[in-house]
Amino acid sequence: MRKIIFILFLFSIQFGWSQTDSSSNKKLLEEIVVTSNRTATKKWDAAIPIGIVSKKYIQLTGSLKLQDILQEQTGITIVNSTLSTSLSGYPNPFGQGIQMEGLDPAYTAVLVDGEPLIGRNAGILKLGRIATGNISQIEIAKGPTSCLYGSEALAGVINIITEKPTAEELNLQLYAAGNSTFSQTISYSNLIHKTSVQAFVNRYSTEGYDLDPSIYGKTIDPYTDWNACLKINAALSKKTDLLFSLKNYYSKQTNDYQIYWQNNPTIVNGYTTETDKTLFVQLKHQLSTKSTIQIRTYFDNYNNTSFVNLKNTDYTFDETSFDQTIIKPEIQLEHEGSFHKYILGGGTNFETIDASRYAGKKAVQTTYAFSQNEWYLFQKKLVLNAGIRIDKRTDFDANLSPRISTAFKPNNHIKLMASAGYGFKAPDFRHMYLSFNNSQIGYALIGNNILAEQLESMQQNGVLDPSININPYLQLPTLLPEKSFGTSITATYRSKKIQIELSVFRNDIDNLIDVYILPFTKMNNGQIYSYHNVNKIFTQGINAEIKVDLFKNISLFAGYQYLEAKDKSVLDLIRNHKKIKLDPITFRESLVSENDYIGLPNRSAHTFTSKILWQNNKYHFDAFLRISYRGPYGYKDINGDDIIDDNRELASGYTNINFSARKQFSNQLSVQIGVDNAGNYTNPVEMPNIAGRIYFINFNYSINQLFNKSQKNQL
Amino acid sequence: MKKVILFAALAVTVMSSCFKSDTQTENSSQSDTGIIKKITVPFSTSGKYKLFRLVDSSYVLNSDSATSSWDFGMRRATLIFNSASSGPGQGAVILENATFASVTRAPYDGYAFDTTASQKAIKDYSWYTYNPQTRGFDPIAGKTFVIKTGEGRHYAKVQFIKAEYEPFVGPMPVNIIYTFRYYYQADGSVNFF
Repeated sequence: MRKIIFILFLFSIQFGWSQTDSSSNKKLLEEIVVTSNRTATKKWDAAIPIGIVSKKYIQLTGSLKLQDILQEQTGITIVNSTLSTSLSGYPNPFGQGIQMEGLDPAYTAVLVDGEPLIGRNAGILKLGRIATGNISQIEIAKGPTSCLYGSEALAGVINIITEKPTAEELNLQLYAAGNSTFSQTISYSNLIHKTSVQAFVNRYSTEGYDLDPSIYGKTIDPYTDWNACLKINAALSKKTDLLFSLKNYYSKQTNDYQIYWQNNPTIVNGYTTETDKTLFVQLKHQLSTKSTIQIRTYFDNYNNTSFVNLKNTDYTFDETSFDQTIIKPEIQLEHEGSFHKYILGGGTNFETIDASRYAGKKAVQTTYAFSQNEWYLFQKKLVLNAGIRIDKRTDFDANLSPRISTAFKPNNHIKLMASAGYGFKAPDFRHMYLSFNNSQIGYALIGNNILAEQLESMQQNGVLDPSININPYLQLPTLLPEKSFGTSITATYRSKKIQIELSVFRNDIDNLIDVYILPFTKMNNGQIYSYHNVNKIFTQGINAEIKVDLFKNISLFAGYQYLEAKDKSVLDLIRNHKKIKLDPITFRESLVSENDYIGLPNRSAHTFTSKILWQNNKYHFDAFLRISYRGPYGYKDINGDDIIDDNRELASGYTNINFSARKQFSNQLSVQIGVDNAGNYTNPVEMPNIAGRIYFINFNYSINQLFNKSQKNQL
Repeated sequence: MKKVILFAALAVTVMSSCFKSDTQTENSSQSDTGIIKKITVPFSTSGKYKLFRLVDSSYVLNSDSATSSWDFGMRRATLIFNSASSGPGQGAVILENATFASVTRAPYDGYAFDTTASQKAIKDYSWYTYNPQTRGFDPIAGKTFVIKTGEGRHYAKVQFIKAEYEPFVGPMPVNIIYTFRYYYQADGSVNFF
């Protein structure tokens, strides 16, 4: 077992993102992925395309932010939440998330070692919660993957695989960057008898930055993050392994901004504290040479508490809290024959949430089972994969997510893949239980499940006119899961020097949950909003990637995505000549044509990324330049038709240039310098997450008893 | 602050372009393009409505709210018409899903009134969308109001073109400036040509 882990580890360092000349002398790289079928599989054998970001890639970039690493990957865009730009310059409450295949961040599942991250705010997960220092690999599966991962895996899955303890090793990392950003990491791993232990602690602090000094307060306020992780893997017997993993995340951010208190500008101060505690225990037992059983339990508690007081007083102006817990016992059986691999599993997800904006503490449970078989035919030239998952949550009918996929490999260089499957996303707590009253504007946003009782109580309390007929809203159907059907075709070519991947995808999404306005108002004229299943959209596009190893030590990479994302009901209106636009300059009215319709806002038709890596083995030096371009994207309607159909409604595109260079001074010490956002692109309103140009320096020190030689080869 | 300045600059350029088109409309068919006007209304949801009279395109004082001299009133994005629960006049309205130019005649019947204070002839959000990103009330293109005036003897068609916040300091806008166009049929007929 130890040997296997050792070999796997070598694979991950030797055959990472970029082949070095030492490895290109050997056979073609064989990366291992787990996301395609929940068990370790060679990427070349997987029936669906999996994108890999290796540990080596992360190290080469020197980046400590997962967001920055992901946005350099083809087909991934980091987008702002559509509700996050505030007219008054208040801090952005929701942040940024991953847009994949043209779908919002809420539709991509983010997993750590196969288990879901929780604590989404308006559908967005704060990616800064994940430290990059102990990631061994990031796997990206695009397209519906609910057949294995259930809800949220509608646009795809990002699975962050953390390192497995392998041998004695001590790593220290010191990082300093602009905006008084400092990071210290210490990690230690060891093998004691048959037990491997890894401990990892990271502290990250920054003073934040201010993109618009004319508005009081910083764009990003100062914060400090702590990430700690303990992983123990004990071989209880030759056939039984016990994995124990404990993670703790703690973050404290200053809140300091201006509000209007009794119509006077007033400063408020406070803190936002975030914690995320997870515990994972897994018992893996070899039933026979071909079969294993895994029993595991995952526990996760995410808490976010935030307050601001009027400056120099104890008067609390605003206070919010959010607490989410999941407990997820699960069992998984695997059987591997000579020509097939079978996986069967199931579990229950107990989930509770207690948030100041929800009416009381809420709980749901989801019981699920999944089954998947992968056949290897004609000496593995043909791979067939069929899987299905059933999810039954307490508040809606059982949901089935099947998928079939296939890969055809006529030789060792060409692979063709096709996949079709269903994805779904269960309505989240906010859609069901949100009870939010905006006292400034006077509107109310109420979750579907509690709308009836809230309307009744509003009418009883004189908030709603007694003559209003609320009966149609007392027996509303419960929200249905949002569903997608996705297909993709991918062609891959690989040789020692060149890798090319070309894919075409299409997703049709039904039952999208959207806000609607009730046809009556409160006594104060405030509008009442709730959620219903209404929208039908599609997204489709092309992904192309090419990687070339030039000469001995230069690697070139280019990736491109073309994307179309449109609302089907808008297309129907256009085809029925019912969509009219009014030019804001000429005031001329005319029909919107199908050609005019650009698509859903916040999507770029073109995104492009390119990278150049230069590695000098003689002087143990590497340099890495990455350029990513995001094309223009729909920002706001200006011609009265509420859709993006005019070039003046687009925000301009932007380019992000990152550069890093590293020198290894000895087996123990390496020093890296770099610059992020070298072009100094900023856009305080539309992209407040992008700081200006940042220089950084990074010291790595490792004491490593076993890998002296391979460490050297790595460069 | 930058945003406010930008906003103001935008408003100025838009306004100047309005004046240009204003003079242009004098020459082309007025019933097709209408007369462009601006109306400044309070952002408040509880204050007084700004009252407007189409015949001479002028504001009517709130002290005259109990007369039939005004045709429609506005507050934030809520419209009232001079009859029933809103006023003593004989005003009424129909919201047509049609371009301004294509409405060539006022319908004979089907007019709506402000039945009660919370059930108005024109429902909020029926002719505009609220954009949470820009906090703007954006009139929907292809929505034309056919209005029976307060004194009940004339017809007009009205279309809202855009809404902008008057530059403001503080958390809340004070006024919204609506740009609209209208055609008032002075001869008392239902024809808009």
